[in-house]
Amino acid sequence: MKASLKITALYVGSSLLAPLKQAERDIERTYAAGLRIAAYNFGAPLDEAQWREIERELGESQVVFVIHVTDGENAGRLIPLLEKYRASHRAVIVINCMPELMRLTRMGRLQFGRDTAAAAQGTVEGGREAEDESEGGAGEGMARRLAGRVGAWMGEQARARRRGRKKKKKSSHTQYLRYIERLPALLRVVPNAGRLRDAKNYLSIFCYFLQPTPANIRAMLLVALKHYAADRRFERIELPPPESMPAVAVYHPDAPALFESFESYRSWYERRAGKTGKMRLDSEKTVGLLLMRPQIVSGAHAHYDALIRAVEAEGLATVPAISTFMDNREACEMFFVEKTQATGRKGKGRARLKRTESGTVEQTDDSQAGRRSRVSQIVSLTGFSFVGGPAMNDSEAAVEFLRELNVPFRSAVSLDVQTIEAWRDSWTGLNPVQAGMQIAIPEIDGATEPFVYGGMSQASASPLPLEERCRRIARRLAKWNRLQTAPRAELKLALVAFCFPPNKGNVGTAADLDVFPSLWEMLVRLRSEGYHVEVPSGADELRERLLGGNADSFGATTNIAHRMTVEEYRRLCPFAPEIEAEWGTAPGAINSFGGTLLIQGLQLGNVFVGVQPTFGYEGDPMKMLMARSGAPHHGFAAFYAFIEKVFRADSVVHVGTHGALEFMPGKQVGLSESCWPDRLVGELPNLYIYSVNNPSEGSIARRRSYAELISYLTPPVEDAGVYRELAALKELLLAYRQTTDEREREQLFQTIDEHAASLHLVAGGG
Amino acid sequence: MSEIREQQRLTKDERDRRVLELCEQVSEIERRLIPTGLHVFGRAADAGERADLLRMVASFDRPETGARALPQLIEEGLNVNASAPSHDGARLSEKSLQAREQVEATTREAIRRFLAGGSEAACAWLETTARVPVAESRRVFSLLEKIEEQLRDNRELDAFARALRGEYIEPGPGADIVQNPSILPTGRNTHAVNPYGVPSDLAFARAERLVKLLLERHRTEHGRYPSAMALVLWGLDNIKTQGEGVAQALWLLGVRPLRDGMNRVTDVEAIPLELLGRPRIDVVMTVSGIFRDLFGATMGLLDRAVQCVAALDEPPESNYVRRNIRARMEAEACPFAEAALRVFSNAAGNYGTNVNFMVMDSQWEADDTLADLFVTRKCFAYGRDSEGRALEGREARAALNGALARVEATYQNIDSFEIGITDVDHYFEYLGGVSKAVEKQTDSRPAIYLSDALSRDAKVRSVEETIRLETRTKTLNPKWYEGMLKHGFRGVAEIESHVANTFGWSATADAVDDWVYTEVAETFVLDEQMLERLRELNPHSARSLVARLLEAEGRGFWQAEADMIERLRDIFTGLEDRIEGVA
Repeated sequence: MKASLKITALYVGSSLLAPLKQAERDIERTYAAGLRIAAYNFGAPLDEAQWREIERELGESQVVFVIHVTDGENAGRLIPLLEKYRASHRAVIVINCMPELMRLTRMGRLQFGRDTAAAAQGTVEGGREAEDESEGGAGEGMARRLAGRVGAWMGEQARARRRGRKKKKKSSHTQYLRYIERLPALLRVVPNAGRLRDAKNYLSIFCYFLQPTPANIRAMLLVALKHYAADRRFERIELPPPESMPAVAVYHPDAPALFESFESYRSWYERRAGKTGKMRLDSEKTVGLLLMRPQIVSGAHAHYDALIRAVEAEGLATVPAISTFMDNREACEMFFVEKTQATGRKGKGRARLKRTESGTVEQTDDSQAGRRSRVSQIVSLTGFSFVGGPAMNDSEAAVEFLRELNVPFRSAVSLDVQTIEAWRDSWTGLNPVQAGMQIAIPEIDGATEPFVYGGMSQASASPLPLEERCRRIARRLAKWNRLQTAPRAELKLALVAFCFPPNKGNVGTAADLDVFPSLWEMLVRLRSEGYHVEVPSGADELRERLLGGNADSFGATTNIAHRMTVEEYRRLCPFAPEIEAEWGTAPGAINSFGGTLLIQGLQLGNVFVGVQPTFGYEGDPMKMLMARSGAPHHGFAAFYAFIEKVFRADSVVHVGTHGALEFMPGKQVGLSESCWPDRLVGELPNLYIYSVNNPSEGSIARRRSYAELISYLTPPVEDAGVYRELAALKELLLAYRQTTDEREREQLFQTIDEHAASLHLVAGGG
Repeated sequence: MSEIREQQRLTKDERDRRVLELCEQVSEIERRLIPTGLHVFGRAADAGERADLLRMVASFDRPETGARALPQLIEEGLNVNASAPSHDGARLSEKSLQAREQVEATTREAIRRFLAGGSEAACAWLETTARVPVAESRRVFSLLEKIEEQLRDNRELDAFARALRGEYIEPGPGADIVQNPSILPTGRNTHAVNPYGVPSDLAFARAERLVKLLLERHRTEHGRYPSAMALVLWGLDNIKTQGEGVAQALWLLGVRPLRDGMNRVTDVEAIPLELLGRPRIDVVMTVSGIFRDLFGATMGLLDRAVQCVAALDEPPESNYVRRNIRARMEAEACPFAEAALRVFSNAAGNYGTNVNFMVMDSQWEADDTLADLFVTRKCFAYGRDSEGRALEGREARAALNGALARVEATYQNIDSFEIGITDVDHYFEYLGGVSKAVEKQTDSRPAIYLSDALSRDAKVRSVEETIRLETRTKTLNPKWYEGMLKHGFRGVAEIESHVANTFGWSATADAVDDWVYTEVAETFVLDEQMLERLRELNPHSARSLVARLLEAEGRGFWQAEADMIERLRDIFTGLEDRIEGVA
């Protein structure tokens, strides 16, 4: 059935689809106007089939909304289509998009392309002028300029970034909050009729959009229908004022409303704790979460709810704060930082909140006295940079803030521009748009634990949680929390070295790193930190014990710390049947002896020093010749099962660049429970001692094995210099050049030529 | 050798030129930075070891701090022209050589004075000796001061302890110190880059020059531009250089990147042929799994670049991409969509060519095996199909083979002195692997090039030249191997690994001269004292090294004297017995 009224909404993200769909139903129920809303997520490049469909919808639409579109390719395709169907569109309403699209806004007499060129290109000074006027009342043209400012907001950020401007006079996020709080009041003084009518309509729509509750999204559509649909049914309707929700707040799925202060949240939380026996907001055991505001406002928060509940199920309290979008420092400052009376003298240098052995947080520098973190980990669910939002990232500011707070920063990703189904089916995992914007950029802020926890689904108009992933994240956060809070003498650590190609001579393979002395230094440090570790007398003893021990009795490369029976292996490693499909019945031929799997390593008190098995292709050309590898071998899986489930490590530390774990088959980024690195590293916090000159393979370890890298310096370098015959040649060359006597030169040349020949220095290069 | 006799009849001028050329060759070896040991986690290096590093750091412009390259400042102050000669040596002259030596000696002395007496002393000396304005030199030395300080104070163990306590670990860029001094301090969580920022404007500008050198060299040696080139793209150099490798591919194709309103590189446009001044070169990109993961958006951009060039209505002699696609469509009745595939990597979720595994484990018999293995692992196409759907690694063996069949040169960008082509097995598995695959398709080995952007003047070298240079500066250089042997057990493994990686270049590209193996044998095995040291420190790696030499001879990669091989065999048996506890 062809709709008689059609609105096409091209949007990005996961918060708008549900309210749009609901508005479509509501409006239809009330007005029976035959309204249909065609909605498309423009977050990632679309294929030809989708474009054909969109073109058909655009051709049939009276009103078009374009919201949050910042993808250059999609914009490039959309612009000509909007031109093509210009005549049939009564209004094109572009909100928060890139400048090329903003210019296409067309509502009655309001045309951004014409009216706001100056505003959109305007300098900061120009912008201030507009605002000053707006503060003073309804000056001539104010609304139009304001609309221009609003429209140019996104583009300004991009331009600021391009100019590399660090210090802006007014940060964009402050402006965003100002719009949320003040725009409705400003609008009341703009006349409804006359030349300003269309600008006012744009601003009304913008007001509703800023608070995307279902009612506001419905009203947003109705403004457009009332003024531009040319449908009598809508002409006389009265629109409600925008529903308003606080710009910054704490959200909790169990709470009846948002909390505008931490104190009100705390009192609710602790009251609830009293009733239910749940935990209190003890800063040592509390996780701060950053949530996207539109998702909360529009009710698209099932994925947040699941993650919050999963974290609480692990015995950790939560403070889920609504992200201040362009700059999360504000939300963190309001809800994650406790300000107490300043007591100390002014010191210099940067403060760092230090975790003492007993687990309490102390200031190491009193210059910042009076600030204390209320949370021990921060998890951003926004998928954007900590400071700068989607359009830019000011990682310097982010790092400065996080360093001072000294709380680890995690960033988990919601599938907002792809579906859960597409993610599940794909070996890529996150698509390039999400991998670029929501993984690569937060990494620059120091974000770790790049998990997918939920997202859009074909089955739903709003995001759904991935329950298993939520549980995984929660359990890993709990493991990290144990590292933060448990007495060190109780903590168990696995240090893992590599050996490639696998033979005794290569134990301790690592680019540019002398691994045994490094391991030894680490053991010494661990002992002084209070971990229970038996430290050998030196690096040599450590190596001799690791390479020697019982190695010979099993024909093994190193000492064997544990022999895992096949029965134990099957019990601890639920994936054994999958591995058997590729590598045959356990234990298989690699890292095995007498029907058991051999775990290479040495236990030194609460520290296990292990040697990771290799891919296991040695002597097996058929395995090497496969285009796709399927699974690690039994010995590899047993090694990690031992660390997590037999030795019961609290953390694994990989030592040196690089091993095989992070290159095991699975998605590229945004792993699932069926990806091998995810299965193998399990719930263990993973530190990786990694060469600073290898950011590429290191990033794979960050993304695919959840490693936090601790970079190491590359070795000292010197000029190669000259040696032996090369040194002699150099002398001869100098002598030749310094001699003027031609006969002597001729003789010298003879010798030079002979030297060059025996050094294989051929004419013409190399 | 007849060559030498011939040279005896050289004229005076020819002799002088040859001497200057040898001076260049020796100085290139002499001045190359090499690691002289291994790092121990948490330990600061000795201060004495830093002079050469600091000099190298000072040899580049640092726009971020306003410091200009010190040799450039000295050159200006002394009013001499010390720029390096071009590849063919045409500009070699005693005068320019002297100028270069003078600039270098002055730079060296300035650094020495800086280390001994601090910035002010060095600045003052430079002002009197070389008329370098103090305002300029101060910027250089304040950067060096900062680096010095950071190198003295190694905080890696602190970071390790803090990470275990669950504290925040700061992020930091990844590179070597010369490329990017802000990698200091270490002990940070290294990050990659935003793929939408790649290639940066600077990377694109630098790539233009490199591509010019590359194509000029090929044309000088082969009389024409290559019809197609196979490029290896890695994450490593593209992260550190903000996409110079990517930019080189774009230049070869003759397109420039376009940024959208959000300042992201999302499209390309063709550079007009008049501006390009040469044909558009066809480019087959074999991409590491790591690049594919880290630069997903860039994979799409590269495919778009090829599609853009393929669609240009230009004559075949100016647009090799279009010409090669057409030719293949006609010859094999192959659809455009397949003939235009140029971006290949592993199957999604997989990494590496396995060529290194096969070579290291000596598991191949025929040359074809390595060629086929490379293609098997790397024949997965990326980009989009004609319906705009992401290919996500669609298996396209025929497409890769078809594209490689027109390749005449292979190339990889190297950006850092720290990871050379015999330091790791990944260079031969990729660049060697793709060259072997081309050889199988075309029945002749392609020209193989590597860039070297380590000195102020970027260079293009053949793989043979690069191996000679690495062998001379590292493997056979006492400064290098004695530095390694200071680390005992691990040092022997490092030496063995260099020999194994050199062997990898024989296996994949037949690019290693006989003398390399002969001198390796003489230096490490036939020298009894040295052999005894290796045996004591790490008998397992000593055995592997001798075994690798014997394998090189056995496979015909090394024409060795029979009695040398005989001696190596005896030594090998002795090592075996010793390890097995027989002796």
